[in-house]
Amino acid sequence: MKIIRLEFLKLKKKTRTWLGPVLVFWLMMIAYPLTVEFLQEKLEVGFFSVLWIAILISMMLATEDIFLEDFNDGTLEQIMIKTSSFSTLVSVKILTYWIFVGIPISILSFIFSFGTTEDLALSLMIFPLSIISSYIFLNLFVMGNALSLNKGSVLGALVTMPLALPVLIVLGKSIIAIQLSINYLGFIFLLLGCLSIIIVTVPLVVSYIIKAHLE
Amino acid sequence: MNNNYLIVAENIGYKINENKLFHNLSFDVAEGEALHICGDNGSGKSTLIRIILGITKQTKGNIKNNSSHGITYLGHKNAIKNYLTLEDNILLMELNDKEELNKYIEILNLRKYMDVIAANLSFGQQKKLALLRIFLNNSDLIILDEPFVGLDIETQDILSEFLNNQLKMNKSIIYTSHISCQIESKILKIN
Repeated sequence: MKIIRLEFLKLKKKTRTWLGPVLVFWLMMIAYPLTVEFLQEKLEVGFFSVLWIAILISMMLATEDIFLEDFNDGTLEQIMIKTSSFSTLVSVKILTYWIFVGIPISILSFIFSFGTTEDLALSLMIFPLSIISSYIFLNLFVMGNALSLNKGSVLGALVTMPLALPVLIVLGKSIIAIQLSINYLGFIFLLLGCLSIIIVTVPLVVSYIIKAHLE
Repeated sequence: MNNNYLIVAENIGYKINENKLFHNLSFDVAEGEALHICGDNGSGKSTLIRIILGITKQTKGNIKNNSSHGITYLGHKNAIKNYLTLEDNILLMELNDKEELNKYIEILNLRKYMDVIAANLSFGQQKKLALLRIFLNNSDLIILDEPFVGLDIETQDILSEFLNNQLKMNKSIIYTSHISCQIESKILKIN
């Protein structure tokens, strides 16, 4: 619990790191209706595509400097020589970023979805999809950022972007499932299944990558 | 003679590409002993420290770390968060002995800076802050890379006295320094 509290303290003071991606998401969702005609049916056509891409980009921005500062100031070295698990730290960092960025974005997703579709049931179904997908994207981009720790975050994002594409496909299909009232829960479980694998493997892989960088 | 060796290194070598930084270094550090690693700039002192810490892997030889209570380390990077106050930085260090902590905050004259953002502190003050990690250590091996750099004479004396006391408490110290200090040490010269 102590490690979570300390990561919270750090991220709370780095307002730009967590508020920036949330604002970018908000701006993208605000900008979307301006690019199409204000007829509700037309807004709905592309809304969910924009929503998932906005979540993806926001998560990419959120992870931009997730390890860079700790790498540059020697914090990672201090952690490495301690006996505590490196992968636990990675998991806690991802969780903290998700709480600060992923959850607000998911709440905004629900609000924008309800505002656009005026369908409460549909918007309530969007919320868990946003929650799970934001956590998956965050994990993937964290891995990318660890790979390109001292080479700039764009390279890392490019490496991990293809891994996010299947998730985007599942999200797209789940909207169709909701609209046709078929097997929505199946898609939720599919995403949860992906998340359960990612949540275990990414911290392990990232901890090895960071150790290699430190060496 | 003390045979409880915390660090035993045999024929340690390290090379970057084909350039040998150092080779066939053998040394040991027993309980209550200090090892002063000397050498010119770029001779590989910091790399050797990182090898002892287990961060960097040597390209040749073996090194055994027998410390049972972990290592306390202060290197060139002092793990200070520039955007946090001095008080928050202390919180991040997870220093449990509040009484000792308050004692060293007073000794190092840091009390008046508790609410100051670390970025606004001088290099020396940041170094003092980082030294708290050393002063409140619970480990049996202390490793320091140029610990006296940036410190005023008074703080250098406080640190030297502290390290000498640690040696009396049977703790071991490995350090690099270009500044002469009053610590009775074995010397390992890297060319």
